[in-house]
Amino acid sequence: MSLTIVRLYHDLLGTYGDQGNAEILIHRAKSRGINTELIEVTPGMTIPTSGNIYLLGGGEDGPQTASLELMQNDGGLKKAADQGATVFAVCAGFQVIGTSLPGFDGQIIDGLGLVDVTTVVNAAPRSVGELVVEPSRPGLPVLTGFENHQGLTKLGAGVSPLGTVLSGVGNGFDHQEGVWEGNIIGTYMHGPGLARNPELADALIESATGISLSPFEDKWANQFASERRTSLLASKTHK
Amino acid sequence: MARKKSGRLFLANLAGDSAGFLSKSLKRGRGETVKGRAILAVDPNAIQKLAAGRDIVLVSGTNGKTTTTANLARILADGTDEKVSTSKFGANMDAGIAAALAAKPRNRYVVLECDELYLPTMYELVKPRVIVLLNLSRDQLHRTGEVRKVAKLWHNAFTKDDVTLIIDRDDPFLEYAASNAGHVIRITFGGRRHPDAATCPNCSAILDWSLGDYKCSCGLGSALSQVRSDKRFGGPARNAVLAIEAARLMGAVVPVNLQEELTMNAPDRTMQFKAGNREVKTQLAKNPESWRTALSALTARQVILALNARGIDGKDTSWLWDIDYSSLLGKEVICIGERKLDIAYRLSVQGVNVNTADSFESAAKQFGQEPIEAIASYTAFQDLAANASGLRAGIGAGR
Repeated sequence: MSLTIVRLYHDLLGTYGDQGNAEILIHRAKSRGINTELIEVTPGMTIPTSGNIYLLGGGEDGPQTASLELMQNDGGLKKAADQGATVFAVCAGFQVIGTSLPGFDGQIIDGLGLVDVTTVVNAAPRSVGELVVEPSRPGLPVLTGFENHQGLTKLGAGVSPLGTVLSGVGNGFDHQEGVWEGNIIGTYMHGPGLARNPELADALIESATGISLSPFEDKWANQFASERRTSLLASKTHK
Repeated sequence: MARKKSGRLFLANLAGDSAGFLSKSLKRGRGETVKGRAILAVDPNAIQKLAAGRDIVLVSGTNGKTTTTANLARILADGTDEKVSTSKFGANMDAGIAAALAAKPRNRYVVLECDELYLPTMYELVKPRVIVLLNLSRDQLHRTGEVRKVAKLWHNAFTKDDVTLIIDRDDPFLEYAASNAGHVIRITFGGRRHPDAATCPNCSAILDWSLGDYKCSCGLGSALSQVRSDKRFGGPARNAVLAIEAARLMGAVVPVNLQEELTMNAPDRTMQFKAGNREVKTQLAKNPESWRTALSALTARQVILALNARGIDGKDTSWLWDIDYSSLLGKEVICIGERKLDIAYRLSVQGVNVNTADSFESAAKQFGQEPIEAIASYTAFQDLAANASGLRAGIGAGR
């Protein structure tokens, strides 16, 4: 059993530490005896289409547009996603995989169209702070992360969110956060998201490999995730 | 230089002195910010009035503002016959700046540390002769927004030739910030890859770093540098070079060996703190860039890392994952602070031998008799400093 992780343009989409998501996937897969390979895609490289999980992170407006152009011209990510590869896209990356989003100069541009979501500019101040989410899928605990984004993202009809916002902004429509549609997962949760939510990391590995993972007692992962969850849920109750 | 004080300004200053004294005597902080707030409450125009007619330098950037401000104030005082007023304790927003201007209002020279977001406003208010821009990298993303936003804010502010900007042009964000300005002194250290600048701050194209310096089709970075300095210099040494250039421009006579002295002994933010009966050399680190610098300077095998995520530290700890901790492999590390688990988990994934403790003292107790060193985030360092000086922990900083 092996797992190939493709990290896309972390120089461009790596402002918020999301590149850590790859290290967490590798750490958790290896601990279950799964061989892993990490492919770093940098500008100028062809995106391989044989990966199992593709990771996109958060970035600033200019680099976001630059990475989108690279992925549109290459076509590899779309092909891999169509073939069933799992895509985990955070913040700017989440916006990029949708059908449209605000470009560098604010005009609406086409996204990669991996999933039916559209991002619009939020006239209100930037959404910045801790985000707490009740997941849509069973088997996952409450998810937490740190959001920092200007755009708001609307899901198309019948498209499932990653979860429901308990506190924070998330997508900014209907208390929804992120998207989880088939093999495509998008979220506004940094932290990195998979460090804050190790169970979500396992769900991605299971989705990508089709195998059911054995339990894994990672002391520090569990302590960290549960400390965040507990303290954020407690501060929410006190509000 | 004699200036007539307005009645309101006089009252403002008096109010500031009393409030500052009271605050100090209550041990609630260093008084500068409280004093400045009192001054501005009585006279909202106090900053313009106190700045009028004086020769002012502003110092801004992500890392090294406080040290560079202190260095520059000292070089100016030593190298001219004038008295110099300057910022205290890193108080670098409007209140701290008002307090620094009010302290000795007849001093001709003023060297002010300025918060990145306040810089455009302060430039308008105090009409500086020189602005020193040290560097820009990711810091407190939840507050300042992204690096490019700060660079753009500066770019839009500096459009006239009423001030001289002194910049490290190897930082593409600073080159962009200064690219509209009328008068710029560019200093180069021979180029170096900027970890946050994969794309051009001006046109957003992917920057070409293949030769160790940036090149862009839009022309960013093609302006010639006026000063060439040593490629081996780290952050503190580079800032010292910028401070010396600023002092020269302000008319100071700078001894030939001063650069060497400052760059060899670049005073970083390092203090000795007591943990029980142990002395622990502790470095302050505030953002990814300063953590990298601090990690590379560690020599002890036993290390304490103290992490908080209060406002000044940056509330989002994701940046911990952008740092390579391989220099800690083989060492023993104990994490403390309100967000000790964030860093403990991150280190464990990189294979570092890590543990946690509830306090600085109990962390030191877990270690053997070999030397211990520490790195502390902003408020964690403040708390240690406050404890060391007998002040209550948890005070706010000047910014």
